[in-house]
Amino acid sequence: MTTKVTTPGEKSLETTAEISKAIKAYYGGVKVAKEEGKPIIWSYGLTPREIFHAMDAHVIYLEHLPLMVGAKQLSGHYIQVAEEEGFSRDVCAFHRCFLGCAVASERDPYLDQFFVDPDFIIATNLPCMSESKSFLYAADHHNVPYYFIDAPINTWGKDIPDYAIEYYAGQLKGTLDFMSEHGLGTVDWDKLKEAVSLSKKLILLWNEIDKCRQAVPTPMGTVDGLTAAYPLIQLPGTQLGVTLFERLLKELKGKVERGEGVLDDEKLRLLWFGVPPFYNMGLLNYVEKYGAVVVKSMIEYIAGGAYDPSIMDPDKPLESLAYKALVDIVNPISENMVNFIRETVKDFHIDGVIGVVKRSCGLLPGYMRPVKDAVYEDSGVPTTIFDLDGLDIREYDDATSKANLDSFIEALLASKRR
Amino acid sequence: MTTLERMIGILDAPEQVVMDWKAKGKKVIGYRCLYVPEEIIHAAAMLPYATLGTPEPITKADSYFQPCACEFVRNIFDLGLDGKFDFLDGLVLSNTCDAVRHLKNMWTTYIDSVPCYMLNNPQKMYDEPAFKFYRHELEGFKKTMEDLSGNKISDASLRESIDLYDETRRLLKELNGLRRRDVPPISGAEALMISMAAILMPKEETNALLLQLIDEVKTREIKDADGPRIMVTGSIIDNPTLIELVEDMGGVVVADDLCTSMKYFWYQTKPNEDPMDAIVRFNLERSVCACMHPSEERYDFLQEVIGEFAVDGIIYFNVKYCHPFVYESATFRKKLEEETPVLALEVDHSLSGLGQLKTRVQAFIEML
Ligand code: SF4
Ligand code: SF4
Repeated sequence: MTTKVTTPGEKSLETTAEISKAIKAYYGGVKVAKEEGKPIIWSYGLTPREIFHAMDAHVIYLEHLPLMVGAKQLSGHYIQVAEEEGFSRDVCAFHRCFLGCAVASERDPYLDQFFVDPDFIIATNLPCMSESKSFLYAADHHNVPYYFIDAPINTWGKDIPDYAIEYYAGQLKGTLDFMSEHGLGTVDWDKLKEAVSLSKKLILLWNEIDKCRQAVPTPMGTVDGLTAAYPLIQLPGTQLGVTLFERLLKELKGKVERGEGVLDDEKLRLLWFGVPPFYNMGLLNYVEKYGAVVVKSMIEYIAGGAYDPSIMDPDKPLESLAYKALVDIVNPISENMVNFIRETVKDFHIDGVIGVVKRSCGLLPGYMRPVKDAVYEDSGVPTTIFDLDGLDIREYDDATSKANLDSFIEALLASKRR
Repeated sequence: MTTLERMIGILDAPEQVVMDWKAKGKKVIGYRCLYVPEEIIHAAAMLPYATLGTPEPITKADSYFQPCACEFVRNIFDLGLDGKFDFLDGLVLSNTCDAVRHLKNMWTTYIDSVPCYMLNNPQKMYDEPAFKFYRHELEGFKKTMEDLSGNKISDASLRESIDLYDETRRLLKELNGLRRRDVPPISGAEALMISMAAILMPKEETNALLLQLIDEVKTREIKDADGPRIMVTGSIIDNPTLIELVEDMGGVVVADDLCTSMKYFWYQTKPNEDPMDAIVRFNLERSVCACMHPSEERYDFLQEVIGEFAVDGIIYFNVKYCHPFVYESATFRKKLEEETPVLALEVDHSLSGLGQLKTRVQAFIEML
């Protein structure tokens, strides 16, 4: 059963509104670049964005299209287009949605504002298989060249061996050469070093932002957090990203000093684990009626928001980016992810974890049980797990989702009262 | 009893193969899947044992894995939780898909009785840096196998193991090559079962039996061979029910590009001074799995099989939630269909939903 009862998320910060404008401006810029005849890249997953910024490349990050069309309730249409193209319903809803956008013969005027055909495609298999395989289809369909960055899975923890760094860094060099060959000029190594240095600044600022969010009451919940993560995901290596985070930090510090929270009377702090309900972001506000706030969502970290900034050495730009990708928490296998959630629960004083399973995701559902057990063992904090597809409306049941949240929160409140 | 019956009979009690081996005081290493080099395990005097699933319903594993993970992997984990793989001295997995990656985590976190090792194979082929990376990984793997077995692996012993496994692959290919004939000597279901038995058994025995078998079936002809010639392609099928269904409906399965059949034996190592390098290149220069890049060669391979075996129709078989092959079938299907009709099926690993597919299979075969 599906319902169309969806609402946008309510944000509470000024800087996140600014960030939303920056997102629009970015895609506007891509459109203009295409008109000026500059090459357009499609990319996805955890390809290090710094290399693109260092090359002044115009990139559409395709994880963004499903989010944007999802928030406008248009994702269902494009998902259907992909299914008509032969993609099974088991294929990740994000990828079905983007593939639908990629192959649709007609596009909605909203999507058309920022949709541009690619000149070439750069894909990777991090964090999941879908990233590389759906891109092959898109490359075939648009008949454009394709470069694949193979990311070894992290079987080493924090001590990544030199041969793995060498392999990944070599492929980044290959990507730079590929971009050069396809019309992006020669590699400016100083610019790349600068990008790595700015990326380091960005993560240091994000860590300070995170510290502010640990305050009780929290000055920023994940409705803002998901927009606030945009510089982290898309702008590492740019001055714009740094400037936006400086402003956000200032705003949050002010709120913490004044004791202003998302809620005046914060009773419960929650962590969202899994894909957020992009189709119905208002669901994240729904819990507020209980005095509960979703302080964070794991997705905010999806492209490198959880690593030690000291690994970034601008004099070794490719090796630094390789290290960053290989230790990323979403790089399987899960030790890093489980430890990260465990720490987050403690640092952010979380009372309960909401684990949502998007049936078609190959990656996140496999973490649910280990995360649930590890968090409970470590801090006694419970996790609820239920199905929720934030993108494919046919899989989304609003009433059941709310009932699941109601019963979990009521149980948390009852146990607090005891 | 014919050799054919003897080999197929092994599948009734595959654990007996292990018991016989263990009775000699030797160790057994389970593995999944084609990118785990059995030769290295064998060169350490251990038995590489392909962990296959069962058609049994999943019980305990469902409270660990969400039901949207590939059922084959959940099945293996279920058997592991139940202690059914406790006879193994280790389990080795390779980096092929999201599901197997998660199996590594789950196994390490929740099953103590059998240590689990993940071999980090690249997903990039024909690439010197990938060869180099994989070589490092294989050296680590070799050392782990030496430590586990207490046996040093010399170049000579590794070369011997490679030759032995190449011979198995060569014989299986020769046997299956007979299916090119207008009237094949063995049915698709028989071919799959022989291949599975050959994969499970110690290769010293396998090779002797395969030689006899080839001789035995050379003059044989299957009955009812006038139906359309079918190729089944996809990931893993570890029981013959689907193939039997296709054959019961009048199809003649002449080729099966599966992890338990052609993918296992179609290629051999190339001559190489350095046996480790031979293994590196063997795994990164053959396009058998949908997880690898680039994918053109796999498409060409399918075309080659279609031509050589005079295939009239293709069944693209996907275990539900098998992401690599789900993408591959969508990508290849359109192109393949330009010349050969394709039926895409998504089925649970246990093949429990097969009844519902009967009509589709029947309609497909009638259409051909
Ligand atoms: S991690 Fe999951 S949701 Fe994200 S792209 Fe991969 S399969 Fe889709
Ligand atoms: S069937 Fe597919 S998803 Fe399952 S283990 Fe094999 S390749 Fe992975």
